[in-house]
Order: sequence, then C-alpha cells, then structure tokens
Amino acid sequence: MKTILFFLLFFPFAGSLLLAVIGRYLPRRVVESIGCLTVLASLGMAILAFGSAGEKRYLLTLFDWIRVGDFTASMSLYYDPLAAVMGLMVTFVSSLIHLYSVSFMRDDEDYVRYFCYMNLFVFSMLVIALADNLLFLYLGWEGVGVCSYLLIGFWYRDGVNATAGRKAFILTRIGDVAFGIAIALFFLIFDQLSIFSINSKVSTLAAGMATLLGLLLFWGAVGKSAQLPLVVWLPDAMAGPTPVSALIHAATMVTAGAYLLMRLFPVIALSQVTMITIATVAALTGLFSALAALAQTDIKRILAYSTISQVSYMFLAVGAGDVTGGMVHLLSHAFFKALLFLGAGCVIQALHEEHDIFKMGTLRQRLPVVFWLFLAGSVSLAAIPPFGGFFSKDRILLSTFSHPEPIYKVLALIGEVGALITVLYTFRMFFVAFLKRPSVHEDFSDRDLKVPKFMAWINLPLAILAISAAAINLPSVWGGSAWLTHYLAFLPGGNIAYPVSESLEAWVEIGSGLLNVAVLIWAYFLYRPEKPTPGVMRSSLRDLLFSGFYLDRLYQIALVKPYQAIAKTLWLGVDEGGIDDRFDGTGTAFRFFSLGLQLWTTGRLSTYLRMLLLGLTVMLCMLALGWYYIR
Amino acid sequence: MIVPYGNVLLLAVILFLMGAACAVARRNLLMILIGVEIMLNAGGLAFVAASLKWQRLEGQAFVLFIFAVAAAEVAIGLALIVHSQRRTGSVNADHYNLMKG
Repeated sequence: MKTILFFLLFFPFAGSLLLAVIGRYLPRRVVESIGCLTVLASLGMAILAFGSAGEKRYLLTLFDWIRVGDFTASMSLYYDPLAAVMGLMVTFVSSLIHLYSVSFMRDDEDYVRYFCYMNLFVFSMLVIALADNLLFLYLGWEGVGVCSYLLIGFWYRDGVNATAGRKAFILTRIGDVAFGIAIALFFLIFDQLSIFSINSKVSTLAAGMATLLGLLLFWGAVGKSAQLPLVVWLPDAMAGPTPVSALIHAATMVTAGAYLLMRLFPVIALSQVTMITIATVAALTGLFSALAALAQTDIKRILAYSTISQVSYMFLAVGAGDVTGGMVHLLSHAFFKALLFLGAGCVIQALHEEHDIFKMGTLRQRLPVVFWLFLAGSVSLAAIPPFGGFFSKDRILLSTFSHPEPIYKVLALIGEVGALITVLYTFRMFFVAFLKRPSVHEDFSDRDLKVPKFMAWINLPLAILAISAAAINLPSVWGGSAWLTHYLAFLPGGNIAYPVSESLEAWVEIGSGLLNVAVLIWAYFLYRPEKPTPGVMRSSLRDLLFSGFYLDRLYQIALVKPYQAIAKTLWLGVDEGGIDDRFDGTGTAFRFFSLGLQLWTTGRLSTYLRMLLLGLTVMLCMLALGWYYIR
Repeated sequence: MIVPYGNVLLLAVILFLMGAACAVARRNLLMILIGVEIMLNAGGLAFVAASLKWQRLEGQAFVLFIFAVAAAEVAIGLALIVHSQRRTGSVNADHYNLMKG
C-alpha cells in the first residue's frame, strides 16, 4: 500500500521534474508522452489503491521531513475512503485533460513549460487529497496556488493574462494566511499536525477555540474555492489556456477548499457558529454567482461563475453537516465541469478564439459532436433529472432544509433559487451558442470550423460519467444503491445528520425536478432559435450582473486605491522625499567639500614632499613643546 | 662611548635635514631618492647612538630592518624611475602630473 501511494504521488512529480530539467532537449512527442503517461500511471496507482484498500484506512509515513526539537513534520498520508474517491477523481479528470491538452496545445511553442506545470499541479492536488500532516498538506496547498498562478498567466506576454495570474495568487494568499494561522494553532494545541489524530482528539477543544479554528479553516477554504468575498479571481482566471481552466475548476484548486473542510470536518462540526457561517456564505455565494453568470457573454466566464456557484453547494453541504452530499456533488461537478470546459475549448478553438456566445450561434449544425457533448454537460450542470448534478444538488438542498436550525430553511430556499437560475444561465449559454442565429450566420459560415477529432472524442468518457454521475449515489427511493453514501458512511459527517422520510425525499426531488424542467422550457422560449437578439435585459441590471455586482470595483475603491495611496505617500513622501533626499543631500555636501580638497592634489611630487615635511615639522614641534611643558 | 651622545644626535639631525632639503629642493627623481636614503640613514644613526647610550640591542636590530627596507625601496624606486624614463623620456618630477585631482 505504501508503495502504491508513493508512486501515486511520485509519477506526476517526477514527470514535472523531468520536463523541467531536460524537457527542452526532448522531441515534442516525448514531452507530451511524459506529461500524459505520468498522470495516467498515477491514475493506475489510484485505481490500484482504491481496489486493494476497500474500506480500510491507512496512516502511512513516507519520509521524515522536518525534525526540530519537539516539532516533527513528516510526509505522511492518511488514506481513507474520502481521500480514495478524491484521488481517483483528480487523477482521472487530470488524465483526460492532459490527453486533451496534447491536441489543444498542438500549435503552441511552450508545450514543455505547459506540461511541466500541469504535472506539478496534479502532484500538488494529490498531496492535498492524501496528506495526513497538515504542513505537508499546506505544501500541496501552496503548490496548487503557485501552479495556478503560473498557468493562469501562462500566456504571460499579454499583460492582462499576467495580471490575472497575479490576482489569483494574491487573493488565494489572503485565504492561505488564515489557513497557516490555523495550522500554527493546531500545533500549539495538539503538539502535532496529523489530521487523523487531530480529528480523533478534537473533543478536547474549548468551544471558543473550536469556533476560531473552524472560521480560520473556512477563510482559508474561501480563498482557494473562490467564495464570497474572495470570488473575484476566478472569472479572471479564464485568461489561461482552456484545459487549465478545466483543471482548475474541475479537478483541482477550487474544490480543494471544500475538500479541506470535509477532511477536517470534526473540527468544523464542533461549532454551530462556524457551520452556520459556512452555510450562509455558501448560499449567498451560490445566488450571487448564479445571477452574475446570467449576464456574462464570454462562454468561459459563464462557466467560471457557474463553478463558483456549484462549489458553493459543496460548502453548503459541509455547513449542513452532510459531507457525503458535498463529496457526491464534488464528483459530479468535476465530471460535467471538465466536460463543459473542454467542450468550450473545442468551440473557442474552432471559432478562432471567439469567446462571445452572442457571436457564436448555429453551432449545432457546424460542430455536431461538440453539440452533443456540450448538451450532456449542460443538462448535468442544470440538474435536469435524472442527469448528473440533479441528485447531488437535491441531496444537498434536502439536508440543508432538514437541518433543525430555522436559518437553514432560508438558506435552502436561497439554494433552490440559485439552482433554478443555474438552469436559466446554463441553457441561455447553450441555446444562444448552439441554436440557429440568423444575425451571426454569415460571420463564420465561410470559415472552416474544424477541431481535431481526438479533441472532441476525448470528452466522451467525461460525458458518459457526467450524465450518469447520479449512478454512483442514486438514492434508494429511486431504486439506487447509494453506493458512495455507504462507502463514506463511517466518516465523520458521512451520514445525513437529520434524515428525512423517503416519501418526503421523493416528493421534494420530483418537485424540484419539475421546476428545473419548467425553467428549462422557459429558457428555450427566451433564447429560442432564429431570435436575432435573444434575452435582452435592462441595461442597468445587466451591467450590475455583468460586473459581478461591481465587486471588483468595490475592492478597487475600498482596498486597492487606499493601498496605492499609502504606497504612493510612502514612496514619494517618505522614501524618495525623506530618506533619499537626505542621502542625496549628504552626498552633495561631500561633493562640495571634496571640490575644495581637489585643489590640494596638484599631482606634483615636490609639493607632496614639501607638505609631508611641513607636517612632520609641525608634529615634531608639537611633540617637543608638549615634552617641554610636561617636564 | 668615545663620542658624546649629543654630538651623534646632532650629526643625525644635520644629515636628516640635508637629506630632506635634497628631497624637497631637487627636481630630479634620482636626487629625490638619494635624499630619502640620506634621511633614512640619519634615522638609523640616531637609533644606533641611542642603542649604545641605553645599552639596549633593539635599536641596532631596528637599524638592520631599516637597511632592508631601504634596499627594497631603492630597488623599487630605481625600477620605477627607469620605467618612467622610458615612458616619458624625462626624470624631472615636475613633468609627472597624472596624479592631479
């Protein structure tokens, strides 16, 4: 088991190292093979580990990492069903994205750098998924941050992309700091950083401390998962290559925050305040980003906002004490979001870097394969029963609703509204981009719309998984076995805290399913084919939603501007005006002084000798006088 | 000690001043070097006299060092003078003004 897990982590890391060191001297095919095969090998290891572990849990130490006095941090892994499922998902989705990337990056010169970062990204995410030691986990956490920065700003020659990379890095750092503080507190309290033992000893925590730790962890997760108020980096993160967006959104990075909370669920669950905070922030984020997605025109930005909204459902599940629900949604989201991004990548490349859905149109006839794949992703995202996200999202809303605290009823309602808007914006994007549009018909009709066959077909496994994601955890009401629920049952928070009767569950699911379908039909009438300018909103509302509720501008005014003002004062007033000028003044004074001295250096030997002698005489006279007077 | 101490010191002073005058007054590099040598030897003479007067050997030992230093200095000095002569064709100290600030 130890060997398997070691190689699970080792392959992507070794691939990235190999590409970083000698990648430049290898032919293109070899580089691509290294990039893909290492991740595929890692997937093989994940399957092997999953198969041989069953429901057992393993606590393994790979290496001693840091050992200072009492403090030890080892590269240790905690392999439990949660980590198993996460590891499988990460390696599987990453493998497909890597294969897709080979095709996507076929005209890019920087493929070595690309695959090197991608492998490192997968490695870091696997560390997060498997690590037992919190410091080791933090290594992966920061690794993910760095890789996202590198990949979002991958086409760094365009300043906008580089800025987006920096924005992602800095905003996630704001969360990372809180997570770092939480780790330090854990060490102070427990004298060690093993997730396993922290979870088993968690009942010794004082109530206030538990709340503090829970909120700090949540704040860390908020940064990574782009929840309110740190959402603004994710839409900008679309600057990177599309497979990178798929990787960030589906398999790695944004789900890391939710996963961390699930991993440390016993700590979170101790405090009611933390749980309610998580659930409230999650519900509001869901509504916020669903509304924002409704007004976007860039296909990738729509998907970005939808990611924020979907991740917020995972947080809502954690806040409602339903880890399994969150995990199910994490899995189904990984499949359909990867599918949607990769499909969007096909569309964008086929249309020569066109992102605006209103300039697309009539794609059904022109890219039939992508149309069907995208449809599969869309019905899963929109939670149209019985596909993909329907059961996972409904389970979350149900467990939120059944929570005894009254506020959860409101939150479940907000969540349901968000879910309905999800249907609307998903099919707005889908109908506008793929159905017949007379107005844009001539724009692309003469150009040749081709994507490599491989790039489209590689999405097929994702499409199948996305529309059948419900099968992994089909509730028993509908004749399913609820496999994942049983698999994760003995985890802390694995079971629904407040079960509801099966008939209620069935009725709620039928009801919300019908609502979703109703919204879908409404969306069809809003954005039906042949309508030249579909879905016109009032412009002030559209601006509000388009800009993401002016959150960027708010931060610009409230944080960035004052910061820049302070920095400018410090720069011009204190540094240049104060310190530099003083130093310059001293320098100028010495310059004038030395101008006087310059006259003395005549360069004539005789003058120097004369002066030497004169000085000697003076000194001797003084000595003689002094001697005389002392006598 | 046959010669009185004061007389030897007086001789040393006279020698030193003559050497100094030579070094300052002459413009020829060779003569300046000779003046410096005379000054050094005057100092050495004073050391020897003092050493005899106080019956301590350090003074005489010091003179040996002065000889060594003087020899080295002359060797370098002469080499520099020869080099300067070749470069500029002159041994007049006033013709060198590269050191002017």
